[in-house]
Amino acid sequence: MARLDPLIHAPARLQVLTTLSAVSEAEFATLRAALEVSDSVLSKHVSALADAGYVRSRKGVQAGRRTTWIGLTSVGREALREHVAALRRLIDMVD
Amino acid sequence: MESNSVHQDPDDPRSVLAAADQARQRLAAGLRLPAGLHPALAAAAAVQLGTAAYGIATHTASGLAVAMAGVAVFLGVAALTLYQFRRVNGVRVDGLASQVVLGTGATPALVYAGALGAATWAAFESRWWLVGAAAVAGGAGYAFAVLRWWRAYRHDPARHAGGASPRMLAVLAVFACLGLVALLAAG
Repeated sequence: MARLDPLIHAPARLQVLTTLSAVSEAEFATLRAALEVSDSVLSKHVSALADAGYVRSRKGVQAGRRTTWIGLTSVGREALREHVAALRRLIDMVD
Repeated sequence: MESNSVHQDPDDPRSVLAAADQARQRLAAGLRLPAGLHPALAAAAAVQLGTAAYGIATHTASGLAVAMAGVAVFLGVAALTLYQFRRVNGVRVDGLASQVVLGTGATPALVYAGALGAATWAAFESRWWLVGAAAVAGGAGYAFAVLRWWRAYRHDPARHAGGASPRMLAVLAVFACLGLVALLAAG
């Protein structure tokens, strides 16, 4: 049975994983713009998620400047699926 | 995440999910296909179809060279398209790469196979105007299938984002070239 994941229970981290599920990889600045957060806030959440193996990051070049690319791992995708399923079950119980 | 337009109550699962979905939709809605993608892809696919039909029908070294050049043109346009998409949007979407390079899905596969079959038959019959017509129709159909996929992706990005990885696409491209060579050599 799907369970709530404490690591992505914070809405900000759930948003990071959900947004990354729309792409294979996103540049740091693109992700920051979609989430409407500061560099430091996103960096903190990405680090926590990367430590858990939910996202991977790599250095690259975008339009001639160095940047960081971030992508969802298969572990992160499964964690997201289970967490969302658990949230939906909670909603169903309330309804 | 304080500035999201969906009012968030961290204790309300419905609100949390809605805010996450909105962020994903915001990213997908902001993505743009490179200008001129469809005409370029249609032309590249038409060139590849026409040259492949010519190469198969002629069974000569020059025919093989023409067919290989057609594959190179197609792969070059596909690679440039994907590079521009990544540069413009700051994201990589493997589902788009699969659609552009492989034409994955029933519709593009059928369109491509039908056009290649018709063009090859016409080339064997030396009806070159028909080779051109079949190639152009196949190229247009191929590009239309990519456009259809793009609309589906914008509607449900999480479902359509996945595809073959760039490494897998490169391996498949090499196998496609080898298959073409084997086909021509067998002929």
